Formats: sequence, C-alpha cells, structure tokens
Amino acid sequence: MTRYKKQDPEITRRKFINVAMGTTAAVGTVSLVSALGTANPVFRLTPDKAPPVKGDVLVHASESKEGQIIKVSDLSDQLVRAWPMGKDKDGNNVIRKGEPNNILALYRFPKGQLVEPTKLDATVNGEIVAYSDICTHAGCSVADSDQGDGMKCPCHSGQYDPKRGCKVIGGPPPRPLAQLPIKLEGDQLVVADFFASMPYPFLSETEWEKFKKEVEEQLA
Amino acid sequence: MNQWLDDRLHISRLNDKFLRKAFPVHHSFFLGEITLFSLIVLILTGILLALSYEPSNSLVVNTFDPGTVTKPNLVPAAYHSALKINAMPFGDMLRRVHHWMANIMVAAAVIHMMRIYFTGAFKKPREINWWIGMLLLIFSALTAVTGYILPYDNYAYNTVKVVYAITGSIPWVGEWVAQAAFAGKFPGAGIIPRIYGYHIMLLPGILLALTGAHMLLMIKQKHTQPQYAKRVAYKKIVGVPFMTQQTPIMLVLALLLTGLVMLFAAFIPVHPVEFFGPPSTTPINNIKPDWYLLWVFGALAIIPSFEWHLFGGLIGAEFVGALVLPGIVMALMFAVPMLDRTTEHQYYAENPTNHPVRLAAGVAFFAMMIVLSVAGYKPELISSGLLTTGNANTILWILTLLVPAVSYFAVIGIVRGIRALREADERESLAHAHADD
Repeated sequence: MTRYKKQDPEITRRKFINVAMGTTAAVGTVSLVSALGTANPVFRLTPDKAPPVKGDVLVHASESKEGQIIKVSDLSDQLVRAWPMGKDKDGNNVIRKGEPNNILALYRFPKGQLVEPTKLDATVNGEIVAYSDICTHAGCSVADSDQGDGMKCPCHSGQYDPKRGCKVIGGPPPRPLAQLPIKLEGDQLVVADFFASMPYPFLSETEWEKFKKEVEEQLA
Repeated sequence: MNQWLDDRLHISRLNDKFLRKAFPVHHSFFLGEITLFSLIVLILTGILLALSYEPSNSLVVNTFDPGTVTKPNLVPAAYHSALKINAMPFGDMLRRVHHWMANIMVAAAVIHMMRIYFTGAFKKPREINWWIGMLLLIFSALTAVTGYILPYDNYAYNTVKVVYAITGSIPWVGEWVAQAAFAGKFPGAGIIPRIYGYHIMLLPGILLALTGAHMLLMIKQKHTQPQYAKRVAYKKIVGVPFMTQQTPIMLVLALLLTGLVMLFAAFIPVHPVEFFGPPSTTPINNIKPDWYLLWVFGALAIIPSFEWHLFGGLIGAEFVGALVLPGIVMALMFAVPMLDRTTEHQYYAENPTNHPVRLAAGVAFFAMMIVLSVAGYKPELISSGLLTTGNANTILWILTLLVPAVSYFAVIGIVRGIRALREADERESLAHAHADD
C-alpha cells in the first residue's frame, strides 16, 4: 500500500487548523487590547484642573466659607484648608478644585517656630506657610493630629511636622508634603511659584518638570 | 405534566444526575450554602437598588436641601439618589440588608474555607474547587469594595481615592492602569458609571459563573463525607438527597438567614450616607475598610516608608503593602492543595487533630491576620495611650511575628496533649478489656 501513500506537499490539516486558530486568537487579543485603550479617556488640562500657579489667590476650601479670600487673621497654628483661585481665558475667577490634589494646608506660627527644612524665603515673614494637603502615600487629605503633634493622615497614619517643612515623622509616606511658595499682596495670600518640590501624585521629578512646562505653555 | 416534560426534555435524567445528589448531614456543611443564599439575596436586593440608583457623579441640585438660586447646593447624582433611596418606603432597609448580607457572605465564605482547610477537604481530587473557591473569595471582596464606592458619599470618595492610589502604585504601568480602570485621572467624570458597571455587571457575572462551576464540580466530585459516614457505610455515599429531603432544610435555612439579617438591618444602621455627607476636602477621621480588608490596611499602617527605583519604575511602600503582601498571602492560599503530597483520593473529612502541622499552620495564619487587623487600629491604640507614636510600629511588628509563632507551637502542644490523653484512654480500656477475660 505504500505506493499510494500520499506525500503531502504542503501542510497537514491539523497544522493548518492550529495555525488558523492561533492567528485568529492573536488578532482577537490584539483587537481587545485596542478596545482597552478606549477605557482610558483623554485628559484635558482645563483651568480648574491646573495646579496652583504664580498669581493665584488662596481662598477657603471648607464648605461654609468656600471661595472666600483667606485673610491673615483667619490663620493660626490650626490647619486651614485652601484652594488656589486663578483666572480662566475670559478673566473669570476659577477655583482650581477640578483637581482634588490642589487642596492646600495653611498654617501661621509665631515667628521663629518655622525652621529648616522649611523654605523660609517661600513663606510670608517666616510665619505663614502653605503645603500641599495631600498625603504623599495614598493621596488622602491630611489633618491636624489629635495628639497635637503636627499633622496626621487619617488613612494610614502618616505623620508630618509642618514646622519643619512637613517632613515625615511617622508612618508610610515616602516624601514630605510639597511646600507652596506664597507671598502677601495687600491682604491677599498669593501663590509665588509652583510647588517647591513635586507634589502628589507625581512619582518622578522629570514628570513633574514636564507637567510644569505643559502648564506654563497652556496658560501662556 | 412530569410525563409531558419528560417526553420532551428527558427531565428524569436531570433528576437522576443532579436532583438526587446526597448531602451529608453535618452543621459545618451549611456554611457554603449560607454563602450561596447570601449571594442570591444580594442579587435580589441589588436589582431592587439598581432600579432607583443613578450611576453618575455629575453634580445635581440636592432636592432635600436645594440652597439658594445664586448658590445652589450641588451634590453628585449618585449621592443624591442614595439619599432618595433612603427616603423611599423600605429604601433604607434595602440598603442595609444589601450591605449586611455582603458582610455575611464574605464571613460565611471565610468560615467555609476554614472548614475545608482544617478537615483536609481541599485534597485530591478537589484541588480545582479550592482554587475556584479562592477566586470566588477574591472577586467577592472586589465586588464588595466597588459596592461601597457607589453611594459616593465622602467615605466612598476617600475609599475610591485610596483604591485609585493603590492601583497607581504598580510600578511602570500603574498610572495608566488606574486611569483605564477608573475612567481617567481621579476623579474622572465617568468614575461612577465605570464602577457601577463593574459592580452590577462584570463582577456579579464572574461570581455567578464561578459559583456555577463550584457547584457543578461539587456535584461531580461529591462532598467529602463526615467521619460518621465511615462507620455507617464504608466507601458509600451517605447523606440525604437534594430532592426532596435537603430542599426544605435549605429553604428553612435561607429564610431564617434572610429573616435574621433583616432583623439585624432593622436595628443596626449601616453606612449612613447623610452622616458622611457628599465628597468633600475634609478627610474622615479614622477611616477604615471593611473587616475582611482590615489586615491589608493594618500592614499599610505599620510598613515603614521606602522607595526603590528600578528600571525607571518606582516600587514604594504602598505597592508592597497593598499589592505584593496580599499577593503573597493569596499565593500561599492558592498553593495549599499543592503542599499536600497524598496521591490517594480523599473520601472522608479528617479530624484536624490528626494533622497537627496543618492545623497549627492554619491557626498561625489566622492569628497573623487578626494581629494585622488590630494594627489597622494603630491611631486608636495610640490615642488610647496603649502605644506611643514612637513604639507603635516596633511593637506591632513584633506581635505580627510573635503571636503566630506562639499560636503555632501552642496548637502543636495542645494536639500532643490531646493525643497523649487519647492514647492513655485506649491503653486503659485495653487493660480493662484484658481484665474482663
């Protein structure tokens, strides 16, 4: 019978089906990956999502007083939360709360209590200091510690010392809270520059630098 | 009627194959059933809730407290619809029953798993069902977490913020994954519709499919038999048939469970959305996850801060504490059937004291979970004065390692004692038997 043994010139039926099925599966998977891409909407940097920039006025963030301009007399060694308020293209006031990570923590300590590593030239008179209020660990809003020793994050008990540049004094946060340079113009607290170090949720300096450039271009 | 159906659908074959399934008579075998009944009640109450819930985080005027025309009181639509559900007749009860039942389901699943582990029911040939059970546990937890984000009150908002941060902490791809999973940079305009989709479609679909597979495998492979079955009829399947003897028992159990949970829900409120208020910048003091995730939370609270940079990615304390550590724990649990070397088929539930190492390891595991959960109360422990900010981490770390070790050796010791007593008893009865001769 060997005479009749068919020499298959090309590929076997089994191999053909396997290759066909493999190709279909591969194409299907790749198309699914592209569908996954649509799950991630495009981010548009609108004025309400921009970070605090030079010239922004600090306003109250608490529900009862939201949007009121913060006066020096409102501040104490108890935390006061603030939003930066800037202008949109038409010159209208915009509270930048579209990005919840813009929330700020303000303190006013008696002169001399604020010490290094706080950037003293970025404070008002060495008395009023502004930090990002977002914990560098998991992005929760940090509050005053109930023990009276600085700030504590309610999520995973990260602790910061606002008198010493908000350096980490306990818990899991990897970095101090970013300090925001501010100055006094009239009786308004005004942002003098970008955050002095990268704020949450940035993970690398290069990303933060890139973002700052993008913001500057956008607002220019 | 039966005849008519049988002629067309051969339902008598269904009867022979599934409805005569023998159920062992032992109270510990009801734990899985309780989990299943909870799932059914969750689906029913969930459907009713979905009829009135509005999955959107766009801001709407709060009709209960509209504010003024110039300064309207705007709240997310999802939060507003939760308020409306609470105002509905029986609406608050529905929410409470749904929430309590979710807790009961996870609890019953965990205890069910403990029964399987301690009696060795995971052994060959039931490894696959152990793995399916693990997936069920993980997906139940995910469903529960997405569920408590949906009311979108301040608590939910803070929860989803942390969940987003945990997802974002994955090295290299974290930010992209977090944005894809939660519809853009937090809080994206589509975050609630996205989570709603997960909670009512994707995750329940997975849970139902896995539950189906779990049941089919259980029917195919049969329950492990309780020890009494060995004495009654060796190597025979002992138990009451599903139809009709087991069915009334199951019905009574399901109704009793639902009744109890309703009673519970009537007296103990759960997640009062009005109390937490809509999402705001004010953090919630001592926010905690539900009890079954408290161990992850505790681990995060005591893990020291660190950052490694590796090939441009960042490996931080959060990634290690919230994803790597639970990943290791889950991997250990998945590996349980593979640690067993027996090649024989397992027919009978084992007496846990006959396997002291397995028993002790299990007890040590749960001891560690409990200590880590207690560590989740670190802020409370500090403010109550039991620990100080300085020593809390050290003491909690020592306890995390010491308590499991102590419980391991304590269990081994107790089991030895039990065995010694049993052997002494046997010797004595043997001696008496000889004396009778």
